[in-house]
Amino acid sequence: MRAEALKGHLDGLILATLAAGPAHGYAIAQALRTRSDGAFELPEGTLYPALHRLERAGLVASEWSTQAGRRRRTYRLTRAGEQGLADRRREWGILSRAIEAVLA
Amino acid sequence: MSWLGEFEEELRARHVRPAVRECLVAELADHIACEQEASPTQVATQLGAPREIAGQCAEELAAHDARHVAVGAFLALAAAGLVFLVQQATLARTGYPDVNHGYSGALALIAILAFVVGAQVALVCGVLAAWRAVRRWGVPVLPAAEIALLRRRTTIALGAGLVTTTGLLLYVVNFLAVMPAWWLALSGTLAAGATVALAVSLHTLRQGGSTLALAEGPAGDLYDDIPPLRALRPHPLVLWALATLVVGGVVTVAAWHAEHSLVEGLERGGFEVLALSAGFALFGRAIGARR
Repeated sequence: MRAEALKGHLDGLILATLAAGPAHGYAIAQALRTRSDGAFELPEGTLYPALHRLERAGLVASEWSTQAGRRRRTYRLTRAGEQGLADRRREWGILSRAIEAVLA
Repeated sequence: MSWLGEFEEELRARHVRPAVRECLVAELADHIACEQEASPTQVATQLGAPREIAGQCAEELAAHDARHVAVGAFLALAAAGLVFLVQQATLARTGYPDVNHGYSGALALIAILAFVVGAQVALVCGVLAAWRAVRRWGVPVLPAAEIALLRRRTTIALGAGLVTTTGLLLYVVNFLAVMPAWWLALSGTLAAGATVALAVSLHTLRQGGSTLALAEGPAGDLYDDIPPLRALRPHPLVLWALATLVVGGVVTVAAWHAEHSLVEGLERGGFEVLALSAGFALFGRAIGARR
Protein backbone atom coordinates (compact mmCIF):
# COMPACT_ATOMS: atom_id res chain seq x y z
CA MET A 1 0.00 0.00 0.00
CA ARG A 2 1.51 3.33 -1.04
CA ALA A 3 2.18 6.18 1.37
CA GLU A 4 -0.33 8.30 -0.55
CA ALA A 5 -3.15 5.96 0.47
CA LEU A 6 -2.24 6.44 4.11
CA LYS A 7 -2.55 10.21 3.95
CA GLY A 8 -5.00 11.36 6.57
CA HIS A 9 -4.73 8.07 8.47
CA LEU A 10 -1.16 8.18 9.69
CA ASP A 11 -1.98 10.13 12.85
CA GLY A 12 -4.67 7.63 13.80
CA LEU A 13 -2.35 4.69 13.12
CA ILE A 14 0.33 6.19 15.35
CA LEU A 15 -2.17 6.85 18.14
CA ALA A 16 -3.43 3.26 17.85
CA THR A 17 0.14 1.95 18.07
CA LEU A 18 0.82 4.04 21.16
CA ALA A 19 -2.39 2.78 22.78
CA ALA A 20 -0.44 -0.45 23.43
CA GLY A 21 2.10 1.50 25.48
CA PRO A 22 4.86 4.09 25.21
CA ALA A 23 7.31 3.62 22.35
CA HIS A 24 10.10 5.41 20.50
CA GLY A 25 10.05 6.19 16.77
CA TYR A 26 11.74 3.01 15.57
CA ALA A 27 9.51 0.83 17.76
CA ILE A 28 6.42 2.59 16.40
CA ALA A 29 7.61 1.98 12.82
CA GLN A 30 8.18 -1.70 13.58
CA ALA A 31 4.81 -2.06 15.28
CA LEU A 32 3.09 -0.49 12.25
CA ARG A 33 4.93 -2.86 9.94
CA THR A 34 4.15 -5.95 12.05
CA ARG A 35 0.52 -5.12 12.73
CA SER A 36 -0.15 -4.37 9.05
CA ASP A 37 1.71 -7.51 7.90
CA GLY A 38 4.10 -5.23 6.02
CA ALA A 39 1.28 -3.72 3.96
CA PHE A 40 2.36 -0.12 4.49
CA GLU A 41 5.22 1.03 2.24
CA LEU A 42 5.84 4.08 4.37
CA PRO A 43 9.17 5.93 4.42
CA GLU A 44 9.72 5.63 8.15
CA GLY A 45 11.05 9.16 8.41
CA THR A 46 7.54 10.51 7.79
CA LEU A 47 6.60 9.25 11.25
CA TYR A 48 8.66 11.98 12.91
CA PRO A 49 6.89 15.06 11.53
CA ALA A 50 3.64 13.27 12.41
CA LEU A 51 4.81 12.53 15.97
CA HIS A 52 5.86 16.16 16.44
CA ARG A 53 2.52 17.33 15.04
CA LEU A 54 0.64 15.05 17.46
CA GLU A 55 2.74 16.33 20.33
CA ARG A 56 2.04 19.97 19.41
CA ALA A 57 -1.65 19.09 19.33
CA GLY A 58 -1.35 17.61 22.83
CA LEU A 59 -2.35 14.10 21.70
CA VAL A 60 0.98 12.54 22.64
CA ALA A 61 3.68 13.49 25.12
CA SER A 62 7.34 12.55 25.03
CA GLU A 63 10.32 12.24 27.28
CA TRP A 64 14.01 11.79 26.62
CA SER A 65 16.15 9.06 28.11
CA THR A 66 19.57 7.58 27.42
CA GLN A 67 19.74 4.03 26.01
CA ALA A 68 23.04 2.33 25.17
CA GLY A 69 24.80 5.68 25.27
CA ARG A 70 22.48 7.46 22.89
CA ARG A 71 19.52 9.78 23.40
CA ARG A 72 16.06 8.30 22.87
CA ARG A 73 12.70 10.04 22.74
CA THR A 74 9.79 7.92 23.92
CA TYR A 75 6.20 8.89 23.14
CA ARG A 76 3.03 8.06 25.04
CA LEU A 77 -0.66 8.80 24.57
CA THR A 78 -2.16 11.61 26.61
CA ARG A 79 -5.76 11.74 27.82
CA ALA A 80 -6.60 13.92 24.81
CA GLY A 81 -4.79 11.37 22.62
CA GLU A 82 -6.99 8.55 23.97
CA GLN A 83 -10.05 10.62 23.13
CA GLY A 84 -8.60 11.49 19.72
CA LEU A 85 -8.02 7.79 19.01
CA ALA A 86 -11.59 6.93 20.02
CA ASP A 87 -12.87 9.66 17.65
CA ARG A 88 -10.71 8.37 14.80
CA ARG A 89 -11.87 4.79 15.36
CA ARG A 90 -15.48 5.89 15.25
CA GLU A 91 -14.90 7.94 12.06
CA TRP A 92 -13.05 5.05 10.44
CA GLY A 93 -15.92 2.68 11.27
CA ILE A 94 -18.40 4.97 9.53
CA LEU A 95 -16.11 5.57 6.54
CA SER A 96 -15.13 1.92 6.03
CA ARG A 97 -18.75 0.73 6.26
CA ALA A 98 -19.77 3.39 3.72
CA ILE A 99 -16.95 2.50 1.31
CA GLU A 100 -17.67 -1.22 1.72
CA ALA A 101 -21.33 -0.62 0.95
CA VAL A 102 -20.44 1.23 -2.27
CA LEU A 103 -17.65 -1.09 -3.43
CA ALA A 104 -19.37 -4.40 -2.57
CA MET B 1 27.56 12.66 3.14
CA SER B 2 25.69 10.44 5.61
CA TRP B 3 21.90 10.34 5.74
CA LEU B 4 21.94 12.20 9.06
CA GLY B 5 24.42 14.79 7.78
CA GLU B 6 22.26 15.45 4.75
CA PHE B 7 19.13 15.63 6.92
CA GLU B 8 20.75 18.15 9.24
CA GLU B 9 21.92 20.24 6.29
CA GLU B 10 18.40 20.29 4.87
CA LEU B 11 16.98 21.39 8.22
CA ARG B 12 19.62 24.12 8.42
CA ALA B 13 18.82 25.24 4.87
CA ARG B 14 15.17 25.62 5.93
CA HIS B 15 16.29 27.69 8.96
CA VAL B 16 14.72 25.28 11.44
CA ARG B 17 15.50 26.49 14.97
CA PRO B 18 18.64 24.89 16.46
CA ALA B 19 16.76 23.34 19.42
CA VAL B 20 14.20 21.64 17.14
CA ARG B 21 16.94 20.62 14.71
CA GLU B 22 18.94 19.03 17.47
CA CYS B 23 15.90 17.05 18.71
CA LEU B 24 15.07 15.74 15.24
CA VAL B 25 18.66 14.74 14.49
CA ALA B 26 18.99 12.94 17.84
CA GLU B 27 15.73 11.05 17.26
CA LEU B 28 16.68 9.97 13.77
CA ALA B 29 20.19 9.00 14.87
CA ASP B 30 18.56 6.68 17.39
CA HIS B 31 16.29 5.30 14.64
CA ILE B 32 19.23 4.56 12.35
CA ALA B 33 21.16 2.93 15.20
CA CYS B 34 18.14 0.72 15.97
CA GLU B 35 17.92 -0.27 12.28
CA GLN B 36 21.57 -1.26 12.25
CA GLU B 37 21.23 -3.26 15.46
CA ALA B 38 18.20 -5.10 14.04
CA SER B 39 19.84 -5.97 10.71
CA PRO B 40 23.57 -5.23 10.60
CA THR B 41 23.79 -6.11 6.88
CA GLN B 42 21.20 -3.52 5.85
CA VAL B 43 22.93 -0.86 3.78
CA ALA B 44 20.30 1.86 3.31
CA THR B 45 18.00 3.28 5.94
CA GLN B 46 14.25 3.01 5.39
CA LEU B 47 13.69 6.54 6.58
CA GLY B 48 13.12 7.95 3.09
CA ALA B 49 14.68 10.97 1.36
CA PRO B 50 16.28 13.36 3.89
CA ARG B 51 15.17 16.40 1.89
CA GLU B 52 11.53 15.32 1.97
CA ILE B 53 11.50 14.49 5.68
CA ALA B 54 13.30 17.73 6.58
CA GLY B 55 11.01 19.69 4.26
CA GLN B 56 7.89 18.23 5.87
CA CYS B 57 9.22 19.05 9.35
CA ALA B 58 10.00 22.63 8.26
CA GLU B 59 6.63 23.20 6.57
CA GLU B 60 4.66 21.99 9.58
CA LEU B 61 6.82 23.95 12.01
CA ALA B 62 6.47 27.16 9.98
CA ALA B 63 2.68 26.82 9.81
CA HIS B 64 2.41 26.00 13.51
CA ASP B 65 4.64 28.89 14.56
CA ALA B 66 2.84 31.44 12.37
CA ARG B 67 -0.55 30.45 13.79
CA HIS B 68 0.57 30.38 17.41
CA VAL B 69 2.41 33.67 17.21
CA ALA B 70 -0.66 35.30 15.62
CA VAL B 71 -2.88 34.12 18.48
CA GLY B 72 -0.26 35.01 21.10
CA ALA B 73 0.08 38.48 19.58
CA PHE B 74 -3.69 38.88 19.69
CA LEU B 75 -3.70 38.10 23.42
CA ALA B 76 -0.89 40.60 24.03
CA LEU B 77 -2.82 43.18 21.99
CA ALA B 78 -5.99 42.44 23.95
CA ALA B 79 -4.06 43.15 27.16
CA ALA B 80 -2.78 46.41 25.64
CA GLY B 81 -6.35 47.27 24.61
CA LEU B 82 -7.48 46.73 28.19
CA VAL B 83 -4.72 49.07 29.39
CA PHE B 84 -5.92 51.66 26.86
CA LEU B 85 -9.51 51.36 28.13
CA VAL B 86 -8.44 51.59 31.79
CA GLN B 87 -6.41 54.71 31.03
CA GLN B 88 -9.30 56.34 29.18
CA ALA B 89 -11.84 55.35 31.85
CA THR B 90 -9.68 56.74 34.67
CA LEU B 91 -9.01 59.88 32.64
CA ALA B 92 -12.75 60.37 32.32
CA ARG B 93 -12.93 60.25 36.15
CA THR B 94 -10.05 62.64 36.81
CA GLY B 95 -10.91 64.87 33.85
CA TYR B 96 -8.83 65.15 30.67
CA PRO B 97 -5.94 67.59 31.09
CA ASP B 98 -5.70 70.47 28.63
CA VAL B 99 -3.12 69.60 25.96
CA ASN B 100 -1.27 72.83 26.68
CA HIS B 101 -0.92 72.15 30.42
CA GLY B 102 1.69 69.40 30.08
CA TYR B 103 5.40 69.70 29.27
CA SER B 104 4.66 70.19 25.59
CA GLY B 105 1.51 70.63 23.54
CA ALA B 106 3.20 69.03 20.53
CA LEU B 107 4.21 65.99 22.62
CA ALA B 108 0.63 65.63 23.85
CA LEU B 109 -0.71 65.71 20.28
CA ILE B 110 1.87 63.17 19.09
CA ALA B 111 0.94 60.88 22.00
CA ILE B 112 -2.79 61.19 21.29
CA LEU B 113 -2.27 60.61 17.56
CA ALA B 114 -0.12 57.55 18.32
CA PHE B 115 -2.60 55.84 20.61
CA VAL B 116 -5.73 56.77 18.66
CA VAL B 117 -4.43 55.65 15.25
CA GLY B 118 -2.14 52.86 16.52
CA ALA B 119 -4.94 51.22 18.48
CA GLN B 120 -7.19 51.04 15.42
CA VAL B 121 -4.51 49.59 13.13
CA ALA B 122 -3.55 47.08 15.84
CA LEU B 123 -7.17 46.08 16.34
CA VAL B 124 -7.88 45.49 12.64
CA CYS B 125 -4.62 43.68 11.83
CA GLY B 126 -4.54 41.72 15.10
CA VAL B 127 -8.11 40.47 14.63
CA LEU B 128 -7.44 39.55 10.98
CA ALA B 129 -4.24 37.67 11.88
CA ALA B 130 -5.84 35.78 14.76
CA TRP B 131 -8.98 35.02 12.73
CA ARG B 132 -6.92 33.56 9.88
CA ALA B 133 -4.87 31.53 12.38
CA VAL B 134 -8.00 30.13 14.02
CA ARG B 135 -9.64 29.40 10.66
CA ARG B 136 -6.58 27.40 9.58
CA TRP B 137 -5.91 25.80 12.99
CA GLY B 138 -4.85 22.18 12.73
CA VAL B 139 -4.04 22.30 9.00
CA PRO B 140 -0.58 20.67 9.00
CA VAL B 141 0.92 22.54 6.02
CA LEU B 142 -0.01 26.02 4.81
CA PRO B 143 1.16 27.64 1.55
CA ALA B 144 4.26 29.78 2.04
CA ALA B 145 2.30 32.79 0.74
CA GLU B 146 -0.36 32.30 3.40
CA ILE B 147 2.24 32.02 6.17
CA ALA B 148 3.79 35.25 4.88
CA LEU B 149 0.35 36.93 4.99
CA LEU B 150 -0.16 35.76 8.59
CA ARG B 151 3.26 37.05 9.59
CA ARG B 152 2.70 40.42 7.88
CA ARG B 153 -0.62 40.93 9.63
CA THR B 154 0.90 39.95 12.97
CA THR B 155 3.94 42.20 12.47
CA ILE B 156 1.83 45.23 11.56
CA ALA B 157 -0.53 44.56 14.49
CA LEU B 158 2.32 44.30 16.97
CA GLY B 159 4.09 47.35 15.52
CA ALA B 160 0.88 49.38 15.80
CA GLY B 161 0.35 48.02 19.31
CA LEU B 162 3.79 49.24 20.30
CA VAL B 163 3.04 52.65 18.78
CA THR B 164 -0.14 52.71 20.90
CA THR B 165 1.53 51.82 24.20
CA THR B 166 4.40 54.20 23.47
CA GLY B 167 1.77 56.90 22.93
CA LEU B 168 0.18 56.01 26.27
CA LEU B 169 3.57 56.25 28.00
CA LEU B 170 4.35 59.58 26.32
CA TYR B 171 0.98 60.89 27.48
CA VAL B 172 1.77 59.90 31.07
CA VAL B 173 5.23 61.50 30.90
CA ASN B 174 3.84 64.67 29.34
CA PHE B 175 1.37 65.19 32.18
CA LEU B 176 3.61 64.16 35.09
CA ALA B 177 3.25 67.59 36.68
CA VAL B 178 -0.53 67.93 36.46
CA MET B 179 -2.09 64.47 36.91
CA PRO B 180 -2.68 62.77 40.30
CA ALA B 181 0.11 60.46 41.49
CA TRP B 182 -2.20 57.40 41.64
CA TRP B 183 -3.22 57.90 38.00
CA LEU B 184 0.39 58.36 36.86
CA ALA B 185 1.48 55.20 38.73
CA LEU B 186 -1.44 53.10 37.46
CA SER B 187 -1.27 54.32 33.87
CA GLY B 188 2.51 54.24 33.63
CA THR B 189 2.84 50.75 35.10
CA LEU B 190 0.09 49.27 32.94
CA ALA B 191 1.38 50.89 29.74
CA ALA B 192 4.95 49.77 30.48
CA GLY B 193 3.72 46.21 31.16
CA ALA B 194 1.75 46.16 27.90
CA THR B 195 4.79 47.46 26.00
CA VAL B 196 6.94 44.64 27.40
CA ALA B 197 4.27 42.03 26.50
CA LEU B 198 4.11 43.33 22.92
CA ALA B 199 7.89 43.47 22.61
CA VAL B 200 8.15 39.85 23.81
CA SER B 201 5.49 38.87 21.28
CA LEU B 202 7.40 40.63 18.50
CA HIS B 203 10.60 38.85 19.53
CA THR B 204 8.75 35.49 19.42
CA LEU B 205 7.45 36.35 15.96
CA ARG B 206 10.97 37.11 14.72
CA GLN B 207 12.32 33.84 16.18
CA GLY B 208 9.47 31.65 14.94
CA GLY B 209 9.35 33.42 11.62
CA SER B 210 12.75 32.20 10.57
CA THR B 211 11.65 28.74 9.37
CA LEU B 212 11.55 28.69 5.59
CA ALA B 213 8.22 27.54 4.14
CA LEU B 214 8.12 26.66 0.44
CA ALA B 215 4.73 24.99 -0.03
CA GLU B 216 2.93 26.34 -3.07
CA GLY B 217 -0.57 27.72 -3.02
CA PRO B 218 -2.48 30.98 -2.73
CA ALA B 219 -2.24 33.27 0.29
CA GLY B 220 -5.94 34.02 0.32
CA ASP B 221 -7.11 37.48 1.27
CA LEU B 222 -9.44 39.52 3.44
CA TYR B 223 -12.38 38.38 1.33
CA ASP B 224 -11.68 34.73 2.17
CA ASP B 225 -11.62 35.63 5.84
CA ILE B 226 -14.92 37.55 5.73
CA PRO B 227 -17.16 35.76 3.22
CA PRO B 228 -19.93 38.43 3.13
CA LEU B 229 -17.36 40.79 1.58
CA ARG B 230 -16.49 38.44 -1.30
CA ALA B 231 -18.54 40.38 -3.82
CA LEU B 232 -16.21 43.35 -3.20
CA ARG B 233 -13.00 41.45 -4.08
CA PRO B 234 -12.74 42.93 -7.60
CA HIS B 235 -13.59 46.39 -6.23
CA PRO B 236 -11.37 47.12 -3.19
CA LEU B 237 -12.04 50.85 -3.55
CA VAL B 238 -15.73 50.18 -2.88
CA LEU B 239 -14.69 48.43 0.34
CA TRP B 240 -12.58 51.46 1.24
CA ALA B 241 -15.49 53.84 0.47
CA LEU B 242 -17.97 51.79 2.51
CA ALA B 243 -15.58 51.46 5.45
CA THR B 244 -14.78 55.18 5.55
CA LEU B 245 -18.47 56.03 5.23
CA VAL B 246 -19.54 53.74 8.07
CA VAL B 247 -16.63 54.41 10.45
CA GLY B 248 -16.49 58.15 9.67
CA GLY B 249 -20.26 58.40 10.13
CA VAL B 250 -20.27 56.53 13.44
CA VAL B 251 -17.39 58.62 14.84
CA THR B 252 -19.04 61.86 13.67
CA VAL B 253 -22.36 61.03 15.33
CA ALA B 254 -20.71 59.69 18.51
CA ALA B 255 -18.47 62.78 18.90
CA TRP B 256 -21.39 65.12 18.07
CA HIS B 257 -23.45 63.41 20.79
CA ALA B 258 -20.60 63.33 23.35
CA GLU B 259 -19.37 66.90 22.80
CA HIS B 260 -22.74 68.46 21.92
CA SER B 261 -21.05 70.02 18.90
CA LEU B 262 -21.63 69.12 15.25
CA VAL B 263 -18.38 70.89 14.27
CA GLU B 264 -16.41 68.76 16.76
CA GLY B 265 -18.18 65.66 15.41
CA LEU B 266 -17.32 66.52 11.82
CA GLU B 267 -13.68 67.23 12.74
CA ARG B 268 -13.25 63.87 14.44
CA GLY B 269 -15.19 62.05 11.73
CA GLY B 270 -13.03 63.72 9.06
CA PHE B 271 -9.87 62.74 10.92
CA GLU B 272 -11.13 59.16 11.12
CA VAL B 273 -11.75 59.09 7.36
CA LEU B 274 -8.23 60.41 6.74
CA ALA B 275 -6.67 57.88 9.13
CA LEU B 276 -8.62 54.99 7.61
CA SER B 277 -7.70 56.04 4.08
CA ALA B 278 -4.02 56.30 5.00
CA GLY B 279 -4.19 52.87 6.68
CA PHE B 280 -5.84 51.36 3.59
CA ALA B 281 -3.20 52.88 1.31
CA LEU B 282 -0.28 51.86 3.52
CA PHE B 283 -1.33 48.41 4.72
CA GLY B 284 -4.16 47.35 2.38
CA ARG B 285 -1.96 45.20 0.18
CA ALA B 286 0.06 43.76 3.07
CA ILE B 287 -3.00 42.51 4.95
CA GLY B 288 -4.75 41.14 1.87
CA ALA B 289 -7.41 43.84 1.44
CA ARG B 290 -6.31 44.69 -2.10
CA ARG B 291 -4.04 43.20 -4.76
